[in-house]
Amino acid sequence: MELFIQQLVSGISIGAIYSLLAVGYALVYSVYNFTNWAFDGFMAFGAFMAFTGITSLFMPFWLAALFSIILTVILSVGTEKLAYSPLRARKAPRLFMMISAMGVNLATVNIINLIYGGVFRKFPIDTLQPIFIKGVSIGRMDLMAGGISFGVLALLWVFLYRTKWGLGIRASSIDIMTASLMGINNNAVAIVVFAVTGVLSSVAGVFYGIKYAVFPMMGIVTIKAMIASIVGGLGSLPAAILGSMILGILETMVSGYISSTYRDLFSFLFLIIILLFFPNGLMGKSSGEKL
Amino acid sequence: MGYINTIIILGGINIIAALGVAILTGYTGLFTIGHAGFMALGGYMSAIFVKELGVPFPIALLLGGTFAGLCSFIIGYPAFRSELRGDYFAVATLGFSEATRLLLNNTRSMGESINTAESGIAMLFKPIGPLLVKLGGVFGYMSLPSPTNVFVVVVAVILALFFAHMFVTSQYGKNCIAISQDEVAAQMMGVNLLKTKMIALFVSAFYAGVAGGLMAFYFAYLTPSFFTITKSSDLLAAVVFGGIQSLIGPVITGFILVVFPELLRSFAEWRLIIYGFLFVIVMIFRPQGLLGYVEMNFYFVRIWWNKIFRRGQTSQEG
Repeated sequence: MELFIQQLVSGISIGAIYSLLAVGYALVYSVYNFTNWAFDGFMAFGAFMAFTGITSLFMPFWLAALFSIILTVILSVGTEKLAYSPLRARKAPRLFMMISAMGVNLATVNIINLIYGGVFRKFPIDTLQPIFIKGVSIGRMDLMAGGISFGVLALLWVFLYRTKWGLGIRASSIDIMTASLMGINNNAVAIVVFAVTGVLSSVAGVFYGIKYAVFPMMGIVTIKAMIASIVGGLGSLPAAILGSMILGILETMVSGYISSTYRDLFSFLFLIIILLFFPNGLMGKSSGEKL
Repeated sequence: MGYINTIIILGGINIIAALGVAILTGYTGLFTIGHAGFMALGGYMSAIFVKELGVPFPIALLLGGTFAGLCSFIIGYPAFRSELRGDYFAVATLGFSEATRLLLNNTRSMGESINTAESGIAMLFKPIGPLLVKLGGVFGYMSLPSPTNVFVVVVAVILALFFAHMFVTSQYGKNCIAISQDEVAAQMMGVNLLKTKMIALFVSAFYAGVAGGLMAFYFAYLTPSFFTITKSSDLLAAVVFGGIQSLIGPVITGFILVVFPELLRSFAEWRLIIYGFLFVIVMIFRPQGLLGYVEMNFYFVRIWWNKIFRRGQTSQEG
């Protein structure tokens, strides 16, 4: 029973990190209709910037996190300006946007690999003692990661649904042309969307780095976020969060009770099973390709 | 000479795998970043056929390719049936290749635990226990025969190119192109989306499997570390640079992308960084790739043939 509760808490905290990533993908997808493959590179970049801030520039943790968020936002918006917006201006097909994003990802990950080397590093933060409640040990880092991730998601919800800027983004996600005719500045929307994406990827990268390790290929975990959003049902933010939670809990249960080696295999099998029995995901409506 | 042979062999293997990706990504418009997984499946399977069952090498290659093709249905059927968006299909391929590598990395420990198991589900797998130990997990599947040589590879490349050409110019190929351009319109014209996509995926995985088999019989051993995501990115790069809807483009770039890093060994670390920037630059300035939409054709052969034939005729007459 203790193991179960520990795994549950751990699963929720990893699920929260997956939610950040899944929401980041869903946001760009809903407005620009392509998957931002560069996202996993941004995540590794965010983690490494926080790492550098602490080890080389001797910053406290919160300052390093802020440093990482600012740099990742600059990278994300810069990518938008240099790699995506010329393609969008030409109304290029989605495949081209995806390939371009893939290129940004390859370049980012391999530059990090060249500078820092491919080794796994421990995130330089003091491991806090876990809290014991009735014999159940709960990692404070898990609580912090879960809490801050949910905080970020709540802020994002407030931003999207309670501010004028959020209204502009939601309008653009329905129809970007009509939105711009109604006086919404397309360029500003692009900057805001990619800045939000940068914040999400940086926070996710830092917490993932704390929980596991910091290494250039850490962005591969974003495929879990994609699996989670397929499981939840495509095209809605709550569904992405639900899917992320289920996947996070499933993974920690598998590594707790069965074997941590085959954890990734189980999440992939889970995806296939869900697709066979719920072709549109658990909460999804009939989606298909958006025209 | 040995060095040039190596380059030709590795280039040829890369060409065959890149042709597979070209059929799927270039012609059908389905983005894949997991073809290394199919290469691994084909490679291991054909190695098992030759080494354990004594099947002749060419037949084992075809069987390995077929096995990879059949395995592709594991992701193909659920993904295409649910009309998964192209982007998420790419995730499914990546997940599949990572899952394959994870399983291959652990074959040895799985085999050992099956061999020592006394009861339970493991008993069902008892017959393949020793085989799994032999596959060797991360240490690799050792001492395979190595019949792959320049001649075999050149013949394989020519056959692969010929059949790929036949495929893309057939009705199936036309259906694939229709899907890549507009799925809804293709469906309205009576193209069966599920069936066409499955066929394209099967052919594509078959090519990757054969390439994996050739690779196994060239190096004479196999380890899962041959088939990482880097390999998949290389194959995708060959198709992106070579051109969408072109066979000859990916063939040329597939070869260049093997030769180039060999010549510039000191740039090895920079290779993927350069690819990354090139992806973006190519998409901005020449999105159709080097030879995009340029169909390879054999008209020049026919013209030469006619010339030679006619010359022969005229000389006879004269």
